[in-house]
Order: sequence, then structure tokens, then C-alpha cells
Amino acid sequence: MTSLIEREIDIQPEEREAVVSIENVSKKFCRDLKRSLFYGLRDIASEVTGGKRKSDTLRKNEFWAIDNVSFKLHRGEALGLVGSNGAGKSTILRIISGLIKPDTGTVRVKGRVAPLIALGAGFNPILSGRENIYANMSILGLETAEIEKRFDEVVEFAEISDAIDAPVQTYSSGMAARLGFACAVHIEPDILLIDEVLAVGDVKFKMKCHRKLSELRQKGTAFILVTHNSHSILNICESSLYLKKGQLISSGDTEKVIRKYEEDLCLSGKENALGSMVLPPKPKEKSNGLDIVSLCFKDEQDNNLETLFTGEPAYLSVECNSYEHIKTANLGMLVTALSGGEGLVLYMTSTSDNQELEIPIGKSEIRMHMPYCSMIPGVYSARIYIRNGVYSYDIVESFRFTVKANKTISRCQFYQPRQWQVVSQENIGL
Amino acid sequence: MKILKRQSKRKLKAKKLKKHQQQEAIYTPDSLLRHPLRLFKQMWFDLLSSRELAWRLLVRDISAQYRQSFLGVIWAFIPPIVMAAGFTLASQAKVINIGETDLPYAAYVMFSTALWQTFVEAINGPVKAVTVAKPMLARVNFPREALILAKLGEVFFNFAIKLILIIGLFIWFRVPVTWTVILAPVALVHLIFLGTFIGVLLSPLGVLYQDVSKGLTLLTSFWLFLTPVVYPVPTEGVFGNIVKLNPVTPLLVTTRELATTGIISEPIGFWIVSIITIIGLFVTWVGFRLAMPFVVERVSS
Repeated sequence: MTSLIEREIDIQPEEREAVVSIENVSKKFCRDLKRSLFYGLRDIASEVTGGKRKSDTLRKNEFWAIDNVSFKLHRGEALGLVGSNGAGKSTILRIISGLIKPDTGTVRVKGRVAPLIALGAGFNPILSGRENIYANMSILGLETAEIEKRFDEVVEFAEISDAIDAPVQTYSSGMAARLGFACAVHIEPDILLIDEVLAVGDVKFKMKCHRKLSELRQKGTAFILVTHNSHSILNICESSLYLKKGQLISSGDTEKVIRKYEEDLCLSGKENALGSMVLPPKPKEKSNGLDIVSLCFKDEQDNNLETLFTGEPAYLSVECNSYEHIKTANLGMLVTALSGGEGLVLYMTSTSDNQELEIPIGKSEIRMHMPYCSMIPGVYSARIYIRNGVYSYDIVESFRFTVKANKTISRCQFYQPRQWQVVSQENIGL
Repeated sequence: MKILKRQSKRKLKAKKLKKHQQQEAIYTPDSLLRHPLRLFKQMWFDLLSSRELAWRLLVRDISAQYRQSFLGVIWAFIPPIVMAAGFTLASQAKVINIGETDLPYAAYVMFSTALWQTFVEAINGPVKAVTVAKPMLARVNFPREALILAKLGEVFFNFAIKLILIIGLFIWFRVPVTWTVILAPVALVHLIFLGTFIGVLLSPLGVLYQDVSKGLTLLTSFWLFLTPVVYPVPTEGVFGNIVKLNPVTPLLVTTRELATTGIISEPIGFWIVSIITIIGLFVTWVGFRLAMPFVVERVSS
């Protein structure tokens, strides 16, 4: 952690003051609801009497939701917060916004905080959009005069000018979310806490949100962005924190942190992501006429590959055992990313490539040559099937494999094979 | 010139407020009571800065309330009228035996019920406000005082509507009014403050445990029988003593007396309860502030 802070100070020693500084902060929670409420009552009692809470020790059934975390957020900085569910990301945001008290350590916050966890807080469905804008922005801490100044901008940003006087309960969920987002960003906070909310609305609105966020950042707003989606963090944040079960595992440069996070994510499925898979043999009665025996990747020298490398050539090898002669087999491969959460990455079928595979009786190997692996590093899962028309012979639901890189391809969605050269225009002229 | 001065003064105040908001907020595990000066200062600033929000919430709640109601304002009149009708019938049929009241009985019940209702609203207000605002409380750090202020405003608003009924009542029954009626609002405010004091005291617990709101309904309906709402103040017996010890009695009775006869029967009781109420209200305000972060911590994940 210290390395990050020092580095930041090295770059701009005076310009960047810390707007949020968190020192050795911990927070404990209780899993048992009844006990939790009782603890709450006890905490209130000791708080009101001014007594010591002994907040640094765990009581029965309690656990550390955040354990001794320290970091700083500077003016105009965007900080990513990654970690699996229950890692304590939202808890940190709630402590920063002053909603709950830390159990140990100190939190210092300078300036107005706008929590985007609070989209549409205080929206009343019966009232019109106009009335709700006033109520919502007022809750977020704006005075009436200031709301009036920004009102038109909010309406325009949310794209609801037609429906502004209709009750919010008649809005579509997207419209309500847009209105909530518009209200939150237009209070022009010093610190913006964003918790997985950039997923609202359609693509066009998302782009608008991102534009608005970068505009705010130029004005000096600091961000903390919580998300599972490593792509959006890579695009927005230069530094990040990785939390695991309340502990700060790594911090610093976003790329490094994300890599560590994704490595950890894949660790659980690592044995399944070796790039080869042998399927248990099926008895003939259960077969549909053709069985996939094994799956693997091979390089051009026919050696098995444990992992694919971005930009390198490879073969997909599908070994199968057929009981009949199939003239027009179709091999399909649907690849989804396991780490990025981006959904379907690739969908390839031999039929769509106008390649009809003829499979003889007995064992044979179907090969698909990939001159360049275009996938970016990560863990993927492929669904592989062999069909004939709509008749399905065999399906492998999840063939997991890893893609690594031996070149820099960060911030890319895929690898573009390329060659460079310089052509002198002078020669053509001559 | 004067206006200009006032304007600049207001601007200065706003600036001061803004400056305070921009100051560094420090959160530590220690009890806020360890820095009482800082706490009181923060409370004062929050009270000031919550006025506008309270107004917004008030407008929001009232307009939502009436927009979704067919009868609307009439709901403020129905309970006192129903109550008066029921008890007048019962007393005329000699089902219940009620002593002499200094007003015509129907007017007495209606006026007292309106006062009692206002008191009950003042108790329920903070508990309801905090419970309903749970999702808001769990997400935004706004001055929590605004919720209470908004509810207080609602109580006054509802009473203002009931006032139409009361004025109509006074004219209809030709109730004699003395000059002391202008002092009646003071006593009424004390009555409402007593309710708010109890409400604020219970509201943090009300969020944690549903028992509070359930118990409150039971408690207020029982409390009604110990308060001289449908009967005049009893003078003797165990019941008379219980009614006398009931803190609502002096406040409600004094309000009623100020508005009508002008002769106050229990000035000492009134002042004792009033002072306890004002002090209690301040103390519970502190307690409310201290308790809220712990409540928020427990209600949502």
C-alpha cells in the first residue's frame, strides 16, 4: 500500500491532496440477525453512555467484514475496488460516506460525498419526476436555489423531458434509473462513490454516463468505482485495490491488481483450465452415433498446449469416436469469458464457414486451425458440440482453458493480428 | 438598506454553513460524546442545514398523501366526529356515566380528540418516518434531523386542518372564548413536543425491532383511557391519581382550558411536564444522533 502512496506523492507532491484517507480501518458484522440486532442495541447503549465499545474484539458469531484496511484517495483520482461478493467493497463505501462507524482506525473525508449506491434514494413513485428531482437532490445535500439552477440539465441528461410531470411509477425502470443517475452526478460532488451502477440504461446512455464521469473527473472529482467487471475498471481507474474477505490483498497499478484478482478468481478452476480434457467413454447404447473423446489445444508442431498465447497460432483438436459415417457434420464452439463477465466472446461453427466435415466410422480427429489466437488473456469456457443439421451428436458443456500473453495487450478487447511497414511515397512518384 | 443588510447576513450564514460542510469529516470508533463540543456544534449545523430538506420531505409526503386519497382532507375530520358521535350517544343512553364537562359534551369530545390525535401523531411520526426512510438512511448521509422536522411539520399541518373543524365547532356550539386563546398554541406546542420526545426516543429501536411500532399502537390506545379526552378530569380515587400522574393530562387540559374558559386548573403540573419535555427532547436528540449509525449498520447489508 505504502508504495502506492509514495508513488503518487512523487508525481505531484503538492497538487494532489488526499480527499479520503483511511487508516487501519476495520468493521465487523454479525451473521445471526437476532444476535446482530441485540449487539446493535448494546452498541447504542455504550455509545450513549459514552462508554468503551471494545470494538476491536470480536463477539460471538461476528466476523471482520473489513480487516485493517488503509488507503488514500486524492483529488481527481479514480480508484477501482475489486473483489468477489462479500469482500467488503460496499462496506468501505458506506464507511466513507459516514453511514456507519468504523470499529477501528480513522477515516477522514474532505468535501461533499455523492454515493451512487443511492440511485433514486427517496424517490416517491406517486409523485412526478419534477417533484422527485427536488426531493432527491435535496436529500443528496443541495439547496433549493442550486437545484433550480441545475434542474434543466438534469432533465436533459436523463432524457425524460416528455415525462417530467408524470408520476415516477409510470416510468420504465430504465427511465427511473437514468433520472437517479442524472440527479446524483449533477450535484457535482467532490467524491463520487460508484457501486455497480454503470450497468443501467442502454448503451447510448452508458456512454453518456462515462462521458459525464470523465468530465467530472477533469473538474477534480475523485472516484471510487466498485465493480466485478474488470474492463470498466481498466478503462477508468489508474490505480485499484483488491479486497478479499475484508483484507487488502494488493493495491497500486490497476493492471497489476486486476491480474492478481483474475488469477485468484481462476485459481479455483485451475485444474479444469489446463487446456485439455478427456471425456469418460460412453457405452454404445447411450451414444447418439458419435462421441467426443477428448479436447485439447495443440501447437503447429503437434505438441499439446496447456495454455493459449494471444497472437500465437494454435489448433483446436477434437477427438471423436463415430459409429456411423457422417457426411455433413457441423462442429460448433461457443466461448464465454469466465473472468471478465462479458458474456459470449466467440461463436464459431464449421457450417457457417461453409466447411462440411465428413467423419468416417471409428476414431478420428477434427482440427480447427487458428492462425492467431485473438482472445485476450483470461480464463474461458467453451461449449463444443457436433451436430448434423438440428440433430445433436454430442455436446461438451464446459471446456475450460486459459489464454496468456507474452506481449502487452492490456486495455484491448481482442488481439488484432498485424504487420507494420513503411512505404515511402517518394519511390512511387519516381 | 435593511433588506440588503439582511440579505448579506443570510449570505454570510449560508457561506458559513457551506464552509462547515466542506470541513474534514472524521469518523472514528470512539463515542461522539467524548467530544461534546464538536457534537453540539455539528448538531446545530445539521439542524440549520436540514431545514430545507425537511421542507422538501414535508411537501413530498403531504402531496403524496393527498394525491393517493379520495377523501383527502376529510380524513382529518372523521375520527373526532365519529368519536364524539359514539360517546355522545353512549352518554345520552346512560351506557356510560360521565360527569359534567365545562363545554357541551359533543364539542368537548371532538376538541379533546383532535388534541389527543395530534399528540399520538407526534409520537408515531418519528418512528414511522425513520422506519419508512430505511432505504434512504442506509444509502445517503443526510442530516437525520430532517426526517423528524418534516414529521413535526406534518403534525402541525394536520392540526391546522383540524382547526377548521374546531373553529366550526366553536361557532356551532357557541363556545365562549377568552383572550387566553392566543396562548393556547404555546401549550399545544408543548403537547406536540412531548409526543415528539417519546417518538424520537423510540424511533431508533423501532427500526431494529418491529415490537416497538406494534407496542406503540397498543400503548396509545390504552393511554387514551388514562387521559381526560372523553371524560372530565376526575378529582378523586385511585383512577383520579393515575390520570393526574399522566404527563399528557396537564398539557392537554391546559391547551383546552386556554382555548375555552381561560382558567388554568393545573399550572404547576403544566410547567413541570413542559420543562421535563424540553430537556428530554434535547437529550433524546443527542441519543438519536448517536444511535443512528448503529441502527443503519444493522438494517441493511
